[in-house]
Amino acid sequence: MTAAQRVLIITALGLIGLTMSYGVWYALFDEHQTLTDMGMSMAMGFVEAARQDLPAAMSSLDTYAAVSTEYRNEVHAHGHWGMLALVLLVLGLVYEQLQLSETGGLRLAWLLAISSTCFPLGILIQNSALQTLGQWLASAGSLGMLLGLAIVVLALIRARR
Amino acid sequence: MSTAASNNSAEALEPLASDSQRLLAIGGLLLVACGMLFGDVFALFILHPNNASIGGALYAASGLIPAGDVEGILAQFQSIGGFLENRGTKVDAHSHMIHLGYIGLLLAVLQPWVALPSKARYSAAALFIASAALMPPAIFSIHYLGLTFSPFEHIGWASIVADLAGALLAIAVFIQLWGILRHVGGQGNPLAKPIYLSAGNDASRVMLIGGLTLLLCGFLYGAGMAAYSRIAGAPAEVDILKAIVSHAAASQQALLGEDFAQLGRLQMLRGISIAVHAHINEMGILLVLMSMVQGFIQYSRTNRQRWARLATVSAFGLPLGIQLEVPLGVVGSVVADLSGFALIVCLVAMLFGLLRHTGATDSARGEDA
Repeated sequence: MTAAQRVLIITALGLIGLTMSYGVWYALFDEHQTLTDMGMSMAMGFVEAARQDLPAAMSSLDTYAAVSTEYRNEVHAHGHWGMLALVLLVLGLVYEQLQLSETGGLRLAWLLAISSTCFPLGILIQNSALQTLGQWLASAGSLGMLLGLAIVVLALIRARR
Repeated sequence: MSTAASNNSAEALEPLASDSQRLLAIGGLLLVACGMLFGDVFALFILHPNNASIGGALYAASGLIPAGDVEGILAQFQSIGGFLENRGTKVDAHSHMIHLGYIGLLLAVLQPWVALPSKARYSAAALFIASAALMPPAIFSIHYLGLTFSPFEHIGWASIVADLAGALLAIAVFIQLWGILRHVGGQGNPLAKPIYLSAGNDASRVMLIGGLTLLLCGFLYGAGMAAYSRIAGAPAEVDILKAIVSHAAASQQALLGEDFAQLGRLQMLRGISIAVHAHINEMGILLVLMSMVQGFIQYSRTNRQRWARLATVSAFGLPLGIQLEVPLGVVGSVVADLSGFALIVCLVAMLFGLLRHTGATDSARGEDA
C-alpha cells in the first residue's frame, strides 16, 4: 500500500465508521423528534389559518422551514460522508493506475481526503451558530472534491495514452 | 509462510480466494442487485402514487381552512405523515441496501490488506453481511409495524432492529479498519496487495473511465444544484406554503390552484434533481467497482466487453432518463427504468461470470489435490 493509498483508504474507512455511528445516534435520539416537529409545525400553520390567526400561521410555517432545513442538512451530512467514503475507497484501490508521481499522488490524496471530510462537516455545521463557517467549509470541500476528481480523470486519460 | 500470509497471497491473485472475500463479494453484489430491483419496483408502483396522495391530502387540508375545520386538517396531516413515512422508509431501504452492497464489495477487495487472522476476518465479514441483510428489511418494516409491542414512545421494534444492525455494521467496519491499521503498522504480509486491480483489460478500462467520469459529473451536478438554489433564487417551499395558507383563508380558489401547481412543480424538480445527483454518483461507484473484477469474469473477451459496454451505457442512461422526466415525462421514466433493468441484467451476468471463475478455480484445486 503506497502512502497515498493509505491516506485514502484509512480516511474512507474512518468516515464509513463515523457516518454509521452518526446515523445510529441520529436515528435513536434526534430524527424522530425532528420529524415530529416538522410535521407539527406545518400542520399548525394550516390550523392557525383555520382559526383566522394568519401571523401565527406564518410563524409556524417559518418554524417548519427552519426544522426542515436542519433535517435536510443532517441527512445530507450522513449521506455525503458515506458516499464520499466510497469514492475515496474506490480511488484508493485504483490509484496506481493514475501513474502519478509519489509527491503529486500524495498531495492529491490529501486534497481528496480533507475535502471529503470537510464538505459534509460544513453542511452539518450550518445547523449551528457557525452557519457562515459551515457554508465556507462546505463550499471549499465541494471545490476540493471537484478539482481532485478532475485531476483523477485527466490523469487516467493521460495514463491510457 | 503463515496461514494468514498465504491467504493474503492467494487473495492478491484472485478476488474470491478466501472465504471472507467470497462472502463479502457475493453478498455485496447480491445486495446491490436486490437494492436496484427494489428501487425499480418502488419507483413504478409506490413513489408516483404516493406523491399524488401527499398532494391530494395537502389540497384537502387547505380546502378545510375556510370552514375552520381543525380536526379535519389534523386528520389530513396525519395521512400525509403516513404517506411520507411510507415513502421515506422505502427510499432509505433502497439506498442503504445499495450502499451497503458497495461497501461489502470494497471490503472484499481490501481483504489482502486486512492483517487479521482468517477466522477473525471471516467473522467480521459475516457480521457485516448479516447486519447489511438485516438492516434494509427492518427499515422497510418501520411503516408497517409502527409502535406495535414497542416499549418506547416514539421508536418501534423495526427501528430498534435497524439501529442495532447499523451499530453492528459500524463495529464490523471498525474491525476491518483495525486490520488495515495493523497492516500499515507492519503486521501481516508486507507484500500483500490486490494486484488483480491493475491487471486491466479493455472491459475494465471502459468501466473505470466511465465510472470516474460519472463521479465527476455527479459532483458538478450537485454543485450546480446548490448554486442554483442559493444564487438564482429558486422558489422556496415555505413561501409557496404561506401563499397556500393565505389564499385558502381568503377563499381565493383560483390563486390556490396556482399555488398547488407551483408546489407540485417545485417538489417534482427537487425530487428529480436529488434522484439524478444520487444516481450519477451511485452508478459511477458501481462502474469503478465492477471494473476491478473484469479480469475474473469468465466469458469470452468479446462477451465480457459487450456486458461492460452495456453496463456503462446503462449507467449513463439511468440518471439521464430521470433528468428527461422533466421535459418528456413518462418517456424519461421509461428510459430510466429500462436502463436500470439493463444494468441489473449486466450485474447478474457478471455475477454468473464470477461464479464460473470460482467454480473453475475450485475444480482445478480439487484436481490438484
